[in-house]
Amino acid sequence: MKFLSLVSNEWIKIFSRTRTWVFIALPILIVLGVAIYGKVNEDDTVKSNWKQEVTQQNKDLKNQIAEAKKDGSPKFVAESLENEYKQNQYALKKDISPYETTSWKFMKDMAPLSSLLGLFVIVVASDIVAGEFAKGTIKMLLIRPYSRWKVLLSKLVATLAFAFFLWVILVAATWLFGSIFYGFGGMDQPYLSMVDGKIHEKLISEYVLANMGLEFIEFAVTVFLAFMVSTLFYSSSVAIGISLFLTFAGNALVLFISSKSWAKYTLFPNMDLTQYLDEGLQVVKGMSLPFSLGMLAIYSALFLIITFAVFQKRDVKA
Amino acid sequence: METVHTLELKEVTKKMKGENVVNHLSFGVRKGEIFGLLGPNGAGKTTTIRMIVGLISMSGGEILVNGLDIRKNYEKAMEQIGAIVENPQMYDYLTGYKNLMQYARIMPGVTRERIDEVVKLVELEQAIHKKVKTYSLGMRQRLGVAQALLHRPSLLILDEPTNGLDPQGMHDLRNYLRLLADQGTSIVVSSHILAEMELMCDRVAVIQNGKLIRIDNVTNVTDQAQARVHFLLQGSLNDAKSLLAEHFPEKTAEVSDKELIVEANTTQEIGDINKRLVEAGFLVYGIQLKKKTLEERFLEMTGKGGDLNEVSVAGQ
Ligand SMILES: Nc1ncnc2c1ncn2[C@@H]1O[C@H](COP(=O)(O)OP(=O)(O)OP(=O)(O)O)[C@@H](O)[C@H]1O
Ligand SMILES: [Mg+2]
Repeated sequence: MKFLSLVSNEWIKIFSRTRTWVFIALPILIVLGVAIYGKVNEDDTVKSNWKQEVTQQNKDLKNQIAEAKKDGSPKFVAESLENEYKQNQYALKKDISPYETTSWKFMKDMAPLSSLLGLFVIVVASDIVAGEFAKGTIKMLLIRPYSRWKVLLSKLVATLAFAFFLWVILVAATWLFGSIFYGFGGMDQPYLSMVDGKIHEKLISEYVLANMGLEFIEFAVTVFLAFMVSTLFYSSSVAIGISLFLTFAGNALVLFISSKSWAKYTLFPNMDLTQYLDEGLQVVKGMSLPFSLGMLAIYSALFLIITFAVFQKRDVKA
Repeated sequence: METVHTLELKEVTKKMKGENVVNHLSFGVRKGEIFGLLGPNGAGKTTTIRMIVGLISMSGGEILVNGLDIRKNYEKAMEQIGAIVENPQMYDYLTGYKNLMQYARIMPGVTRERIDEVVKLVELEQAIHKKVKTYSLGMRQRLGVAQALLHRPSLLILDEPTNGLDPQGMHDLRNYLRLLADQGTSIVVSSHILAEMELMCDRVAVIQNGKLIRIDNVTNVTDQAQARVHFLLQGSLNDAKSLLAEHFPEKTAEVSDKELIVEANTTQEIGDINKRLVEAGFLVYGIQLKKKTLEERFLEMTGKGGDLNEVSVAGQ
């Protein structure tokens, strides 16, 4: 009961900051803007003559493939062009229009927005501990009759709840605006994906739901990482900077180490769980969804142990 | 008879960077007493307070709050403490009231009526619904006092509470602390200003370099602060000095600028000196009494070492 009061205190503090309202409003506005823009610029001629369009695309693709093979570009360039080519062919044959937008298709298209949310979550998580040390308010909090781990846990719970809240807002906004502008249907709309060089038909709605679930797990791990950084550093801007650097440079780093045998045991290749939704997106080989979930669990536990151990022992001289 | 102590420190030590910032410090604060921690900058007052409220660990020793070891019964012990440690930093993006709500929510038995009561007490009614970032230093200090009082702690610890308060605010705070003490609250106040301690405290612990120099009733400490009497006069200061040396051989006089400075304790002494000067034809146009600064007292105390008791007897 009293622990929940600690959590609601943190929650109130998060929502008393102006930036929090920007974090909430911005994704909603972007989704609304994209929905309106897409609707206004919808090309009905392409929509009804999509077969012509796709046939033309394939002609271009063929030339590009030939060129890619000649000028010695890396193999995967030609490969991915070929995949696209095959998918187009399949679409023509089975009469599946890639130009049909439904609310679910819209949600799939909006998925990359979650990295924006990731950024917001990092800011909040990095600031929630380091910010209080920087301002000195932490000492007013730590002289209350609560063990330190309870205070820290309340901050962690509040941050996770906030991440969840942002994520719900994004999902709700994309679904709502998608439905308003493109209709409420589309649960059974298929899309094409390549598995082991073969084309499969999958449901967009299934993709969207799986994507949302996996993304939330990514969010949680991001929170644990940023939260650890937040506890280790006294300045919130330094903490935010380091967390952002780790998260975004980490993804770039994956490319450099991808050929190493130990690459799959590092954090960042495992952070991208949505790679398992589409074959061929994997940069580091030899990983699977259960493997990555296991690795993330181990890393999360490690982060949390470090965070709580450091916080418990630390002398507060703020 | 053993008195029950609200707060008891036993051989408390804090090592920082290889140095004992607080060095085997022991003292007890009785129920209903206002206890002063007196010491110059860097003496270790704040460090001691941080250890009492659990912000930093102890390198050695033991701290008991109403008999509870703070290391073993941390939450129980902290429930009984209200504190300001150095500047009370509040959330400046929240209003004063919302800041108090933060602490009210997590402390036992704080009602809205209690918040209003405390706000009224520190006279922040006007500003309480404004954001703390708009507060002046004194207003922040008042809000700090308010949050420390909210849950009616049995031990109130205030680190330099008069910092930033105007004379009226200081006066009110003193009166209120006395009222709380009379109702049974034990209060620890730190300061480096002797005069302030004199007005506020029952007993003081004098600390220097982390060590306890003495604990005494506040009157005993302040009375020894020998006054330095400054005689402002016209004429040769050196002649005046020789005159004094002749008639008051036990006094050492100093000459500075336009003044003759003599150490004197009683009004009788001061009157006698003045009489001599006037009779010798000096025009005395001012006599100023300046109590020794705390720093000087410390130098004296530490310099005399074992003679402290002797001094305190002489003071009475
Ligand atoms: N983080 C630290 N690392 C090392 N030494 C420190 C640290 N903080 C304080 N000290 C030292 O501890 C000593 C006591 O400091 P403290 O803040 O307790 O003094 P204080 O009595 O409260 O002084 P003031 O009247 O200035 O508030 C000082 O000599 C200071 O140099
Ligand atoms: Mg201090």
